[in-house]
Parts: sequence; C-alpha cells; structure tokens
Amino acid sequence: MPIVKLQQVTYHYPFTEKPALQDINLEVEEGEFVAVIGPNGAGKSTLCYTLAGFIPHFYKGELKGIVEVDGVLVQDSDLSDWVLKVGLVFQNPFNQISGAKYTVFEEVAFGLENSGVPRSEIIRRVEEVLQMTGIADLADRSPYSLSGGQQQRVALASILVMQPKVLVLDEPTSQMDPIGTREVFGVIRQMAEQGMTVVMAEHKVEWIAQFADRVIALWEGKIYLEGKPHEVLTDERLVEKGFGVSRYTTTARLALPRGLWQKERPLPVTLEEAVAGFSALRNARRKQG
Amino acid sequence: MHERLSFYVKRESALHQLNPLTKLTLVFGLILPAFLVPFYWTPHLLLLLVVFPLAFLGKVQGEYFTAVTKLILPAAGFLFVMQALFIPGGETVLAKLWFLTLTQESLMYAFANAVRIFVMVSSFTLFMLTTHPSELMSDLTQRGLPGQFAYVIIATLQIIPQMQAKASTIIAAQRSRGLDTESSFARRVQALVPLVGPLVFGSLVEVEERAIAIEARGFTSRRPKTSLREIYDRPLDKGLRWLLILIMLASLVSRIWFS
Repeated sequence: MPIVKLQQVTYHYPFTEKPALQDINLEVEEGEFVAVIGPNGAGKSTLCYTLAGFIPHFYKGELKGIVEVDGVLVQDSDLSDWVLKVGLVFQNPFNQISGAKYTVFEEVAFGLENSGVPRSEIIRRVEEVLQMTGIADLADRSPYSLSGGQQQRVALASILVMQPKVLVLDEPTSQMDPIGTREVFGVIRQMAEQGMTVVMAEHKVEWIAQFADRVIALWEGKIYLEGKPHEVLTDERLVEKGFGVSRYTTTARLALPRGLWQKERPLPVTLEEAVAGFSALRNARRKQG
Repeated sequence: MHERLSFYVKRESALHQLNPLTKLTLVFGLILPAFLVPFYWTPHLLLLLVVFPLAFLGKVQGEYFTAVTKLILPAAGFLFVMQALFIPGGETVLAKLWFLTLTQESLMYAFANAVRIFVMVSSFTLFMLTTHPSELMSDLTQRGLPGQFAYVIIATLQIIPQMQAKASTIIAAQRSRGLDTESSFARRVQALVPLVGPLVFGSLVEVEERAIAIEARGFTSRRPKTSLREIYDRPLDKGLRWLLILIMLASLVSRIWFS
C-alpha cells in the first residue's frame, strides 16, 4: 500500500495555457527515498508544491487527477492538517525563516508551538533535531545571522522536528558546500531508514546515485524516465534533453568508443565508481601484457 | 549581519521577572499620571522617585542612562527650548531676545512638558530593555490576542534591519553598474528610483514564499498553541496590575475633578 499516490495529475497555474504538470502517475512506498531530477522549468517545484498541498490550497489554478497521501485526498483536507503529514522544505533558505523568532532554537520550535505540542516535549525534540542536523552550536544565534548553508539546515530541522510522514524537499542543499551536502543527504537517508517517506527535487546527481532508492526524471511537466538511480542517471536520453549529468558519466561515455572504458561495465555516476572502472581496466591491461 | 534585533538585555532582576502585561500596564500607569494629574510637580516626582529607581531595580541602569544621554535628554531638551521660547502668554517677563520673549509661565510650562516626555520615553525604554518581544507576544497570544496579530508585530520589528541590509546590497549593486549616488541633490533623488523598485517589489515577492514557509509550519492550525517560553503570572503581578489600574483611574478622575 503506497503512502503517496498520484494518478493522472495535471495542473495549470492560474492564467497559463501550458500545464506545469501533465499526466503524472506516481506511487511512493513508505520509507522510500525518491529523487526528482529535471532541467529548470521541468516542473520539479510544482510537483513538490502539489505533494505538500500548496497546490491546490495555496496556489489556485486547475488541478485534475488524484493526489492522495496516507489514504486522504488533498482536496478533502485542510492545508493546516496536511502540513502535519507532509513536510515541505524549499529552496530559498532566507524566506523559510519565520521572521517571528529571535534564535535558531525558537525558530525550530515554531512549528511545534503552532501544533500545540507541550513545552517539555518541544525542548526534547528540538534538541534532538539540532544534534541530528549538526546545528546544535547555533542554537542561540539569530537565524538571520547565519550563512545560506546554515539557514538551509535550520529550514530542514524546522520541518524534521514536526515528524511528518512524508518529507518533500525542493533543492534543500543548493547553498551548501560538499561536506554539508553529504551530511544532509546522510540525515535524510537515515530518516528514510526510520520509515519517513522522502521525495526530493535535486540537481546533485552524484549524491542521488548514492542515497536515493529511485529516480524520476521530469521533462516539460511529464515523467520522462523512472527507475533505479544508476539506470536513469546514466541513460543517454538525459543528455539530449538537457538534464544535468554527472561529469563521471560524461567522462566514461567519452572514454567508451576509445576503448578506455570496459563495454560490459555500467557507466559510473560517482567518483568512486569512475575510479573503480578505470583501475579495473588498467589492471586488466597489465595482466594481458 | 545584525545579530541583535531587539533592545532586550538579558539579566536576572525583579523587573525582568514581572509578567510582560504587568510591565506594559506599568508603562501606562506612569504615563497617564504624568500627563493627567493637575499637581505641577507630578512628572518630576515620578521621574525621580519611580523611573530612576526602576532602572536600578531592573539592573539596566547602564543601558538606560546611555539612552537618556544619547536620545531622551537631547529630545526633551529641544522640546523644552522650543516651548519655552515660542509659547505665547505669561506676564512675568524674564528675558527678551529680539522678537522672542521668555516668561516665567512659559518656562514652567515647558519644563513640565519636557519632563512628561522624559517620563513617557523612559517608561517605554525600560519596558523594552527588560521585556523580550517574544515573551510579550507569547503572553498576549495566550491571553487571546490573535496569533496573526502577534506575528505581524514581531515580524515588523525584525524586518527593519533586514530591509536596511537589503537596501545597502541593492545600492552597492546599482553603484557597481555606474549609478551616481554621490553628486548633486537632483542626481541623488533620481538615483532613488532604481533602489526603491527592487526593494519594494523584491519584498512583495518574498511575502509569498514567507507565507508558504509559515503555513508549512502549521501557522494556521486551529489547535491550541503552546509556547516554548514559560511566562509567569504570579499573584504579585495581578495585584500590581489592579493597583496600576486604580492609579490610572485616579489620575483621570483628578483631572476631571480639578479642572
């Protein structure tokens, strides 16, 4: 029984002719980590807003088809109830700060105060989440004084603390350095292991390959490709449609016709896979002569 | 960037421990008598016998007297000079300076008025120094103030330094593209156009995302809200509030009675 179910979903933003999403069919199992890739304007953010209930509750326009989470239709639910079930972290960290709080600790607690969680539990959960997202040392700082990457961690912590069943992330690491990105992907993977369902729009394919269970490639509002991360991320059709492709995949693809990549070996997405592939080839050649 | 977004100074003091609403009542419990009670020396006595000791009671005398010398005294002083010189009437002429006449009556009137302003600004200063804005809003929300209202107040307080920071970023960006912001007055006024546009429209676009962000945190949830901050409302607070209300009523009555 999938927790997220989208059937024949088509959506038009108000006053637009072209649909932002078209005939989307998607099922996500509980505890699954699904990554959504696509060029700019492919509909990644729109898909995130749809899952999180902001379409149709916040953005008007025309939504057709079925959007169902945990057995409830989005149209039958209030947005304020929906957000407790589906958490949304979006891209711009600065605008995700509530503006009503003076410290990171209070900022992360904001969602729990609104949902009426008792004080002692708020404190316990906020402390736990700050540890997990690696910002415990920032607890007393003003959220406005932080760097973009730190603010993105605060935004993630602020949603994680509410313990939603489904976590929707729209490029949550766009302002982070590689170390921060790895840590955040690690935390999100860990949440998925614990049973949280994750849908994440992201450009960083090398990290997707390592952490996601499934990849969906969106193109012009439609699902273009779908499958295991490696199958999708190394698919040749991504290149012609202008998707971001890992530089390691590109390198191996160039090496292949020159006999510098073994034909039977799948194309790499990450650095480790590329190194393993090139070393294997070198070792094989050494053995031959 | 701006790390300090409020005037609040964290200390352990009797004034800090008071409930925010009690302190807010105290502010008006000082202002009303200062303006209403007909006895001439009321504001002066309030200032010396209540406001100054309160600053020490709240352990914020350092910050308070800095505010006095930098802000309150110059403002009240200016008001005093203007009123003393320009208020007409009075018979006891003390000095004549070209077309200005200084009379004893106008001098006394200006002195009382300046001290009234001194009391008013001081009470608010002390209030802000000893009350965290979040604490005030949590307390008022729990007493039935709509959450949206509290949010607007706090967010406005926070947004001013951010707007300043953003304005200076836009100015730097436009100047790096050759915008003249330093020559003649007319040029400077012209230069405002490409600054105000991005600032205002940028802020409007941000409002949409901000709305999504707080909505995603259950802001419009109908469940009863809780508060991270523990706010005490002791019997002392309730007693003080009643006392202050009586004082306010008494000053109102005295005003009507003796005039």
